[in-house]
Amino acid sequence: MRRTPTLLRLASRGVLREARRSLLTSSAMALGLALLMFSRSLADGGHEDWINTGVRMGSGHVLFQAPGFRESRSLDDRLSGDEAEAALASLAALDERLAPLATTVRLSTVGLASSASSALPVMIDGVDPVAESGFSHAAEAVIEGRYLEPDDRLSAYVGTGVAERLDLSLGSRFVLTAQSTSGDIEGQLVRVVGVFRTGLPEVDEGLVHISISTARSWLGAEGAATTVGAILPASSVVDEVVSAVRSDIAVRSNFGEDDVRVLSWQEAYPELDAAVRIDDYGDYVFHGILFAIVALAVLNTVLMAVLYRKREFGVLQALGLTPAETGLVVFVEGLLLTALAGVAGIILGVAVTWGFFSDGLDFSFFMDEEFTFSGIVMDPVIVPEFRMVHLFQSFVSIAVVGISASIYPAYHATKIDVGEALKFE
Amino acid sequence: MTDVSTAEIALRTEDVWKIYPQEPEDVEAVRGVSLEVREGDFMTMAGPSGSGKTTLLNMLGGLTRPTRGRIWVRDLEITELSNKELARLRLESIGFVFQAFNLLPVLSALENAEFSLLLRGVPAKERHERVHALFEEIGLEGLADRKPARLSGGQQQRVAVARAVVGKPALVLADEPTANLDSHTSDALLGVMERLNHEHGTTFLFSTHDPRVMERAHRRVTLVDGQIASDERD
Repeated sequence: MRRTPTLLRLASRGVLREARRSLLTSSAMALGLALLMFSRSLADGGHEDWINTGVRMGSGHVLFQAPGFRESRSLDDRLSGDEAEAALASLAALDERLAPLATTVRLSTVGLASSASSALPVMIDGVDPVAESGFSHAAEAVIEGRYLEPDDRLSAYVGTGVAERLDLSLGSRFVLTAQSTSGDIEGQLVRVVGVFRTGLPEVDEGLVHISISTARSWLGAEGAATTVGAILPASSVVDEVVSAVRSDIAVRSNFGEDDVRVLSWQEAYPELDAAVRIDDYGDYVFHGILFAIVALAVLNTVLMAVLYRKREFGVLQALGLTPAETGLVVFVEGLLLTALAGVAGIILGVAVTWGFFSDGLDFSFFMDEEFTFSGIVMDPVIVPEFRMVHLFQSFVSIAVVGISASIYPAYHATKIDVGEALKFE
Repeated sequence: MTDVSTAEIALRTEDVWKIYPQEPEDVEAVRGVSLEVREGDFMTMAGPSGSGKTTLLNMLGGLTRPTRGRIWVRDLEITELSNKELARLRLESIGFVFQAFNLLPVLSALENAEFSLLLRGVPAKERHERVHALFEEIGLEGLADRKPARLSGGQQQRVAVARAVVGKPALVLADEPTANLDSHTSDALLGVMERLNHEHGTTFLFSTHDPRVMERAHRRVTLVDGQIASDERD
């Protein structure tokens, strides 16, 4: 232990002496780290955008539904008024940090939309116009007319595809037909007050919003809902919120999983979850290749340095350093280079990510038309997002690369033949 | 000056061999050398290139293990020591002076000279006092802070000598120490080592074929084909 300061001094001077080599090696690592941070934060920002768009197109980060509704889409599997209220109460009880940005209560069913010219199967969402306007992506995508208002009784907000296929325009009337809770087929006349366009064909050609009060009285489901949804501040808090509301709803209202099922967005939209995961795996492969290249570059330079300084290490051992201590000098040199690269890489990564792209990277140049993917419309502008956990992972990755790439040269330094190393050339 | 005839044994070898396995025939670099070096000896080991001088010197210094035979430094048999124990032996009992000086380029002259003391944990004040006294003795005053690259060959070799003797080792092994120096610098350096031998009783064993070194030595061993061909003492 008493020799540690001497070994550290030798290692630090070794790094400083070969300034150009040290700079090149640490630059390679720093660039790798900066690139990793940038690419990771871009991916995180992109994924957050996908998720945000996806949950706003659907029913939120966290959903409350009756067991079986996800599979049946039938009004038979609906939440009672008490259950819907309990769900809203559990969301309202969340800490400020987890509190939802918006909530919605929907009564949804599949039905038929018919006009004088045609008929079309559609998803009918009975919604609270005020809550839904701050929740749904569709509510913001109005291209003609307006969204629903609280006093609207017989108004409908339809996708552009529905309007085109049924030959509807603002003020046109058409009939919605669906099975009520009693099992009878019931019809409801509505009038178009607004047309929206999300860019997703399956939504634009298959979704109709009407007032939830109209839907409840038409379908004989007073007070009931099929979904209570919440938009959260970030997708990263979803697991925490699911766990909190599950226990809250059980304690507060005595409803269990057999009464009210709490779903995360990953469970509700497995395709979107899979898309994010697959993209993540792709990133990991890319980062793996990047780091393998960086590791080889570091290994090469550190090993070359060891071979070049064989005589120096021979002298150290002749003077009384043990082979292990000689290896330690090389290893510490690698660690110092890694630390140097880590600091430089983080500064560079933060500067590049936030300095140049704080307003987001605009990829619209590469997209001629709207690009849809796994049920969402991709925003061509991706805003990088730093996540501390990924920042930490990036730093750990570069540390692993630096340490791994220093192990073999250090081992090599312990194995030199001192007699050979000291031969005069 | 030490009376060598009655002095303790600094180094002893018994039938030391070094054989390098090679195809088609193994190379016998050192063949059955038995030798005694006494405290205060100032001796040379001469011989033509390939006679095994450097190999023997490396074995005596614990840098290379003999294929067979035994070596003692003072009373300690070093042949069976572990790498760690050999490192400790080199640190505490043996000083090296190399043909190519081999100073550590990242350290100053003072740091190079005090290196073995540093590894031994000698306090900074004592280290500096010992090195400065030695530097004054061998003509290196004012050069303590210079890096090796800013020293002449003669100055570098003096620093190397200071590094070898500062820890008061049992013996100093010097491999062709004057080979890279001009005659004037060589003479001056040899004078320094002679004085250290006279005044401090430091034992020197030179591997050399420099006649100036052999002239000053009190004992001259000649190696031929890995064997001692002659051993003359003044």
